[in-house]
Amino acid sequence: MAAGATLLLVLPGLAVAWVLSRPRFRFRALVETLVSLPLVLPPTAVGLGLLLLFGRSGPLGRLLYEELGIEVAFTWRGVVLASAVVAFPLFVRSARSSLEEIDPRLPAVARTLGRGPLAVFLEVELPLAWRGVTAGAVLAFARGLGEFGATILVAGNIPGRTQTLALALFQRVQVGRDREALGLAAISVLLAAAALVLSEALVHRRDRTLSR
Amino acid sequence: MAASSSYIEIDLALTQGGLALAVAARLGETAAVLGPSGAGKTTLLEAIAGLRRARGRVAVGGEVLQDSTAGIFLPPERRHLGYVPQEGALFPHLSVLRNLGFGRPRGSGRDPGFDALVATLDLEPLLARYPRHLSGGERRRVALARALLARPRLLLLDEPTSGLDPLRARKALAGILRVRAELAVPLLVVTHDQREALALASEVVLLEAGKVEAVGPAREVLRAPRQLALGNGGRWENVAAARLVGHHPEGGTTEVRLEGGEAVTIPHTPDLAPGAGLLLTIDAEDLLLATAPPHGLSARNAVAGEIDELIPVGTSVYVRVGPWIAHLTPAAVAELGLTAGTPVWLVAKTHSWRVVAG
Repeated sequence: MAAGATLLLVLPGLAVAWVLSRPRFRFRALVETLVSLPLVLPPTAVGLGLLLLFGRSGPLGRLLYEELGIEVAFTWRGVVLASAVVAFPLFVRSARSSLEEIDPRLPAVARTLGRGPLAVFLEVELPLAWRGVTAGAVLAFARGLGEFGATILVAGNIPGRTQTLALALFQRVQVGRDREALGLAAISVLLAAAALVLSEALVHRRDRTLSR
Repeated sequence: MAASSSYIEIDLALTQGGLALAVAARLGETAAVLGPSGAGKTTLLEAIAGLRRARGRVAVGGEVLQDSTAGIFLPPERRHLGYVPQEGALFPHLSVLRNLGFGRPRGSGRDPGFDALVATLDLEPLLARYPRHLSGGERRRVALARALLARPRLLLLDEPTSGLDPLRARKALAGILRVRAELAVPLLVVTHDQREALALASEVVLLEAGKVEAVGPAREVLRAPRQLALGNGGRWENVAAARLVGHHPEGGTTEVRLEGGEAVTIPHTPDLAPGAGLLLTIDAEDLLLATAPPHGLSARNAVAGEIDELIPVGTSVYVRVGPWIAHLTPAAVAELGLTAGTPVWLVAKTHSWRVVAG
C-alpha cells in the first residue's frame, strides 16, 4: 500500500516541486500552502475531505465510478490515496529543496545547447536532484506505512483488505492482544528506522558529492 | 570583419531588481560590452540568449531572434547562440566528453571538427574526467568547446578570464583567439577588463548602470577623454599583436615582432615557441617619448613614429602615436614642445611588456 502510494505521488510531486523551485513562479504562496496543508491538518480531517470528494456520492468518486467503474472509498485504492495525499508534502519538500540547490546556470546553458524545458529536466535537473528526490520518496513511503487517521475514514478498517499496519496495531490493542500489537509495533519501528537511515544517507551523500 | 557592421542588432529593455537596462546597438562580428560590475552585463547576455524576457528586438546575422512588436520570441533552444557563463557552468554529473557532446546532434561521434577543436584547446587529456577534477582554466576551455561544438551563430562569453591567475588568464584568452581564428565564429564578450575588450573585440559598447555610454570601434571609444580618465581607474593599457621570433635565455629576454614589423624585446617567456602568436600590453605610463633617437639608455625598445593627437585629461596629457598612447604630464609636453605632427621615438623597458594572450 505504502509503495503504491509512493508510486502514485512521485509524478505529480515532481511536477509541483519543479514549479515551486522556479524563482519567478507567481502563485508560489498559494501552491505552497495547499501542498503543506496535509502536514498540519489532523489526518482525520484530510480523510473526511477525501471521503467527501471520492465517496460514492462525492463529485470525483461518482465520476470515477460511473465512467470507469472504479471504486475508491472503502477499498485498497482508498488506502493508497489517503497515504499518498498525507505523504505528498514530505516528498515535495525534499524534491524541491534539492532542485533549488542546482546552479541555475546549468539548466540555462542546457537550454542554449538546444534542449527544451522537459529535456533539460530529464537530462540535467533530475540527475542532479535525484538523491533528494529518492530521499523524499523513502520518507513518503515511511509516512505511508504509518498512515492511520486519513485511511480509517476513507478506507475503513477491513482486515485483509484495507487494514494497514497502523490500523491492525490499533485493533489488536483494542481487543487486548497486546503481544501481537507489540510485534506489529516492532515491525513498524524497524521499517521506519530503515527508511530514515536510508533517506539520511542519501541526503548526506548528496552533500558530499556536490561540494566542490 | 568591419564589412558586416550590423551582424549583431540589439534593442532591448528590461527592469530587473533595481536595474533598468536599456541597450540599443548595431555591432559587427566581434564586440565587447564593457562596464563595471552591476552595470547589467550578465543580465544583457541572458536577455540576448533568450533566458530572460526583455522587450524589444534581437537579430543575429540577419535572423530575428525576438521582436516584441512582431510578437516573435524564439526560446533559447532555437536561437543557436553559444552561451559560456562565468566559470563555464559545466554539468557536474557528466564527464568532459559528455559535456562536449551535449550540444551536438545525437550520435555524432568524434568527427574531424571535434578532433580539431579538442586539439586546438588541448582537451584530449581531460575527456574522461569530471568537472570537479578540473582547474578553473580547464573548465573554461571545456565550456568554450561545448558551446562551439553546437555550431552557434554567435558566441556569448561572460567574463572569460575572471578569477584566473595571470598565466591561466593569458592561456584562456589565447584559446579564444585561436578558435576565433580557426572557426571565424562571431563573438560578443562581456567584461569589466578594458584589456580583454581590446584583445577580443573590434567594437565596444560601454555600459554603465544599465545605459549605453558609448558604442563604436574599440580603440576610438576607449581613448575618448572621459574614458581615459575613468576607465580602468585612469590607466590606459596599450594592446598589440605580435609573433615570437626567438629566445635569449642567457639575456633573460624573448624577441618578438609587432604587427607593424617592429622588433621588440620582452621578458623571457619560455613556454611559447618561436612563431607563436601573442598579445602584448604596456601601460601608457611606461611608454617614454624622445624627440631624438635614444642612445645610452638601458631601455631596449625604441619605435619611431609621429604624434597624431594630444588628449588632455585633467592634469594629464595622453599622447597618441599611431596605435600607441603614452601618458605624460603637461610639463613634459611643454618642455619637449610636443604637438601633433612632431616626430618622436617611443621608448620602453623590456619589463614593461606583459603577455596577455599566448
